[in-house]
Amino acid sequence: MERMLIFCMLFFCSSMAMTAAPHKIATYKQLFKTITRLETTVKDKDVELLHTPENPVDGCLSTAVICFQKGALKLQPENSQVNSTFTQTIRVLQKFTFSDSGKCESSCESYEKKTPKEFLKSFANLIKQVIR
Amino acid sequence: MAVPGTFLMPILLLCRLSPNLAAARSPTGVECVLFNEEYMTCTWGSREMLTANYSLYYWYENRSPVVECKHYLQDQGVSIGCHFNQSEIIQFQPFRVLVNASLGGRTLEIPSKRMELQDLVKPEAPVNLTIRNMSSNQLQLTWTSPYPKAQCLEHAVKYKSNKDTSWMEQRVKGEIFSFPSVDYEKYYTFYVRSKINSYCGSTQLWSEWSVPVVWGNNSTSKSVVEEQLHWFWIHTVLIPIASCLLLLVLVILLVRMERVWVILMPRIPNPSKNFDELFVTHNGNFQEWAGVPKDIVESFKPNYSENICYVSELPPKESYEHLWESSNHLLSLMPTALAAPCEHSPYKSTYVG
Repeated sequence: MERMLIFCMLFFCSSMAMTAAPHKIATYKQLFKTITRLETTVKDKDVELLHTPENPVDGCLSTAVICFQKGALKLQPENSQVNSTFTQTIRVLQKFTFSDSGKCESSCESYEKKTPKEFLKSFANLIKQVIR
Repeated sequence: MAVPGTFLMPILLLCRLSPNLAAARSPTGVECVLFNEEYMTCTWGSREMLTANYSLYYWYENRSPVVECKHYLQDQGVSIGCHFNQSEIIQFQPFRVLVNASLGGRTLEIPSKRMELQDLVKPEAPVNLTIRNMSSNQLQLTWTSPYPKAQCLEHAVKYKSNKDTSWMEQRVKGEIFSFPSVDYEKYYTFYVRSKINSYCGSTQLWSEWSVPVVWGNNSTSKSVVEEQLHWFWIHTVLIPIASCLLLLVLVILLVRMERVWVILMPRIPNPSKNFDELFVTHNGNFQEWAGVPKDIVESFKPNYSENICYVSELPPKESYEHLWESSNHLLSLMPTALAAPCEHSPYKSTYVG
């Protein structure tokens, strides 16, 4: 009985591992859609400029993700109507994690400051890189 | 006065040369395409261009130094493009290209805008198109793409039957296309092509159409027309003639043969034989013949009046005799009126209280 239980658990775990890879890509695609949606509702004028990692090299992808998540906290909605969905979307962005092998020498502050829309465009570009 | 003259000469020379060099600028910038992420070609012109000496330099912004192209593409001795190997391609990094055109000692720069190579990928056409026959008149078309990352592709299927006039195109996300209702009499042709989807780049570069795959009954149009003509002759000539002949035969039979005529048109039966008694003996008097009683016949007459018949309950024994006397008295007073109907009345003698 115990052996059967252990076998079932192993089987279950292995099947989860196999489905994890395509599941990740689905998560990234969902994140990409979220970011493109944010681009339409974010306030672009009279707001603070944000440090935007531009085309990070392969070793610096996870650092760039962290920088984007930090910068996203400072984004503001265009009008008060979209406020609730906006805060929820920003929270979803914070939950995303990405681990990358390699060391990165650049810090968040070393990147150029840009407007929120360009910030989000670069974020979307980064997700495209991750999906590939 | 000679000084302005010496300055004038190079200016005149430049003016004469610059239209030539300007003509070399007429190709609109540099166009680069990554073929299936295996190699890239950047071209800056075509055969109509001016014959000049071209050289291409490229670099990735903030990443690599300026390098000259190692493999030029030639057309009739003129360089029109550059070929890049896979090792020279870096995606998601801003890519800059500069083309120098030199003619007669003067060089002109053809600038290009900043490019991101992931937006210039043209995948190869899909291969291994296979059709499977699923249940209930459904076809399933599957294919594989030589492009390594399947999650980055979207596809388009183009199909037509031999009886349609235009192509139907449908976009598909995966590598399967289900064709819902297939007509087994028709002959279908399918083509597929791919493009990088929005999750991996923003391009409008579709691949070439794949090798077609076919399905269905490949009867040529000639035999179909002949078959249709054959059926036409049968339907419009043979059948009407045969049915007319049949009709004619039947009509002749009908008219000439009494036995057939009697079956189709039997004599109308005359039931008057059963009613001889009514018409002859009783002279049409239905009531007489049917045996209706005479008083009922009388009652049907219009000036019929019925006399009132008095009915009374017989009292108990004490006054029985008294009543008998009074009733006899009544009878003697109205003999004619009461006599006939009251004879018939059943109540007079039966009821005893």
